[in-house]
Amino acid sequence: MTVFHFFNCAILTFGPHAVYYSATPLSEYDTLGTSVKAAVVYLATALVKLICLATFLKVSESDSFDPYQEILKALIGFIDVAGLYFALTQLTHRNISQNHKFQAVGLGWAFADSVLHRLAPLWVGARGLEFTWEYILQGLEANANLVLSISLAALGSLMWLRKNKPKTLIPIIYLCAVIVATMPSITSYLRRGLGWHLPKVVGFELFTSLVMAFISWQLFSACQRPSV
Amino acid sequence: MATPPRKPRNREMLFDSVIALVFILVACVDFCDGATVVDVYRLIQYDISGVPFGSRLASLNHHAASLHFSPHADLSRTVLLIPLRELNMSFVQEYIVAGKPLGGLIFLLPQMFNFESKDGAGSNGDDGSKELLKSMLAELEQILIHANLPYPVYFAFEDDNIDAVLLDIKKNDASGQPATATTGGYKFVVSATEPKKVGSPPITNIQGWLSGLKTDGDSHQLPTIAIVASYDTFGAAPALSVGSDSNGSGIVALLEVARLFSLLYSNPKTRGQYNLLFGLTSGGPYNYNGTRKWLQSFDQRLRETIDYAICLDTIGSWENELWIHVSKPPENAFIKQILEDFSSVAEELGVQVNLKHKKINISNPRVAWEHEQFSRLRVTAATLSELSSAPELLESTGGLLDGRQFVNEAAIVRSVKLIAESLAKHIYGHQGKNVQIFADNSNLAVNPSYVRSWLDVLSQTPRVAPFLSKDDPFITALKKELEDHTDEVNVQREILDGMFTFYDSTSAKLNIYQVASVTFDLLLLLVLGSYLIVLFSFLVITTRGLDDLISLFRRPPSRKVKTA
Repeated sequence: MTVFHFFNCAILTFGPHAVYYSATPLSEYDTLGTSVKAAVVYLATALVKLICLATFLKVSESDSFDPYQEILKALIGFIDVAGLYFALTQLTHRNISQNHKFQAVGLGWAFADSVLHRLAPLWVGARGLEFTWEYILQGLEANANLVLSISLAALGSLMWLRKNKPKTLIPIIYLCAVIVATMPSITSYLRRGLGWHLPKVVGFELFTSLVMAFISWQLFSACQRPSV
Repeated sequence: MATPPRKPRNREMLFDSVIALVFILVACVDFCDGATVVDVYRLIQYDISGVPFGSRLASLNHHAASLHFSPHADLSRTVLLIPLRELNMSFVQEYIVAGKPLGGLIFLLPQMFNFESKDGAGSNGDDGSKELLKSMLAELEQILIHANLPYPVYFAFEDDNIDAVLLDIKKNDASGQPATATTGGYKFVVSATEPKKVGSPPITNIQGWLSGLKTDGDSHQLPTIAIVASYDTFGAAPALSVGSDSNGSGIVALLEVARLFSLLYSNPKTRGQYNLLFGLTSGGPYNYNGTRKWLQSFDQRLRETIDYAICLDTIGSWENELWIHVSKPPENAFIKQILEDFSSVAEELGVQVNLKHKKINISNPRVAWEHEQFSRLRVTAATLSELSSAPELLESTGGLLDGRQFVNEAAIVRSVKLIAESLAKHIYGHQGKNVQIFADNSNLAVNPSYVRSWLDVLSQTPRVAPFLSKDDPFITALKKELEDHTDEVNVQREILDGMFTFYDSTSAKLNIYQVASVTFDLLLLLVLGSYLIVLFSFLVITTRGLDDLISLFRRPPSRKVKTA
């Protein structure tokens, strides 16, 4: 019965990634290599982030929200953006369109994040006898994270790869990118600074991820119009 | 292209559904809490000459139900959580006495019976309900001790965590959904190994010797007076059997009498011409098995010097009447003397002491009073007790009810005074004179704080003999205390013999899990499956168009057409 629950949570956490890959044209153009490379870049970035966190951050005994530490954490979080930049621009891919490239990178990025952060707790926790909503919520969080990663990758590809974009949209693109990149810090603030419970935070994450996805999709199509 | 305008609408629909899903989840989450761990104490498991009694299992892994279970439910795989306040005797009759199958039983005792809680003393409820609970618990304890229950039975104390769990279980039961594997609810798990027999249960007797003053040239042995109390307990839950009254009060009185006489005997001028022998014996609930071993170990000559022995048993909660139980006829010279000593002091203290004679039947293995072991070896002895009649086997032996808050310190202080004063009368030959040796405010007065501190220690120490190891800190402490007050202390280590066999694992940790049902998991799988299918269709439609999605399902038949 509890293995059943683990199975359910795993479907919720990792299913959407697979569905996204197989449902979109990504599978037709065989972009798996790109995704794998992005995942490797994610792992390297995570390692660098860990080293930075361990070096610069004090271990806080209390679970309270310390603004200075959180700003530092947010700054370290921008290493993610650097990693994503590397994945989008420096990796030599096969000839795939920008359109598919950012999706593949975002997908690989989000999948690596899910595996790294959620698989072990899921394996340990969800098979226990005690039933909690926590792992279902974590699965939903993984879905929000997938949407956010793809949005960030889309915005990144707009920033760094597309040359002829409307001048008026550039500040908006940068603003959105900053918002998406600081999402982990925002949720951390909500959870610890305001003491929101996990369901509320996950709801917020789902909501904002969809909003950001909508905005970045609109921006992307707006940028595409002149070239079409 | 007709597809672009459709996209936002689809997204909004997804929006709505996701938000709705989130709100449903948020609404449900409030009921959840983490795994709870509760200390539980197992019902004793023992055999009397091979006949099994008590709870025969220790490990537990069942769904929980309350007393509001539906009458036709099969409870053989259900553990019942029963607060003592709601227990009714018809249930006890039906399930425990008649032996209907159950998965397990957990009794929730009010905090006032918990010897570890600080606020337990009289804070809960009014006296009427308290008395009712006490009598109910006493009845339940006797029934449980003498029943053979093939499932685990545990005791726990009410606290906020378990009360919340109980409330939830009651709610479930009231809604007509008893907890089983398919409907979720709470699961109670005690992971314990199978109880093992306690091989050769130890009994440890401690004796202290305070020698009297021998006048020069007297070749005769000095006479001896023995003061004896049995210190171990027996109760439904061995880990909770602290026995403050039976026989914690007797031990405290003995220690205080020893302390008072050690003060007197330390000065040669006030040293009496009697030896004093203090005995703390084990095995009391089992026909005073330890007392018998202790007496048998005596030298015949020593045994003959014992003028008489006073046994102290349950003297901690009397008002103004104590009993002297004897097995020799009241006409016996020593008995007369004892009664005279005691009743004259009692008169001064304003209390009453009565004599009760009960003949012993040598062929009957039951030894109801400790002095009967002395009498069987032809040593004059009497038991001082507040109980007016002899208890049955395993009755009044310091069970669940016998807690600190039901013992009256003042009664113990009075008992000590009575015993010490009448002993002094006998030793110093003050019979008929109105002399108070242990008067209040003198330096020989009974020390109430000494009594209180020892009573507190005893009331926090479960003392069921088979579970007290030979070098238990408690036994060491008793020995050390006697060493402080007497000249010579001997510890006798024996093995409890006779018909009793005991099994270990007296306390455990109960894990309470809130579990989801299989139906919930199936439903969740269904929801997740449809979510993934919807997501797939949505993505295919938005990125490739509706026709692609339809063609995905058409492809296999078209291939067949090709091969054909």
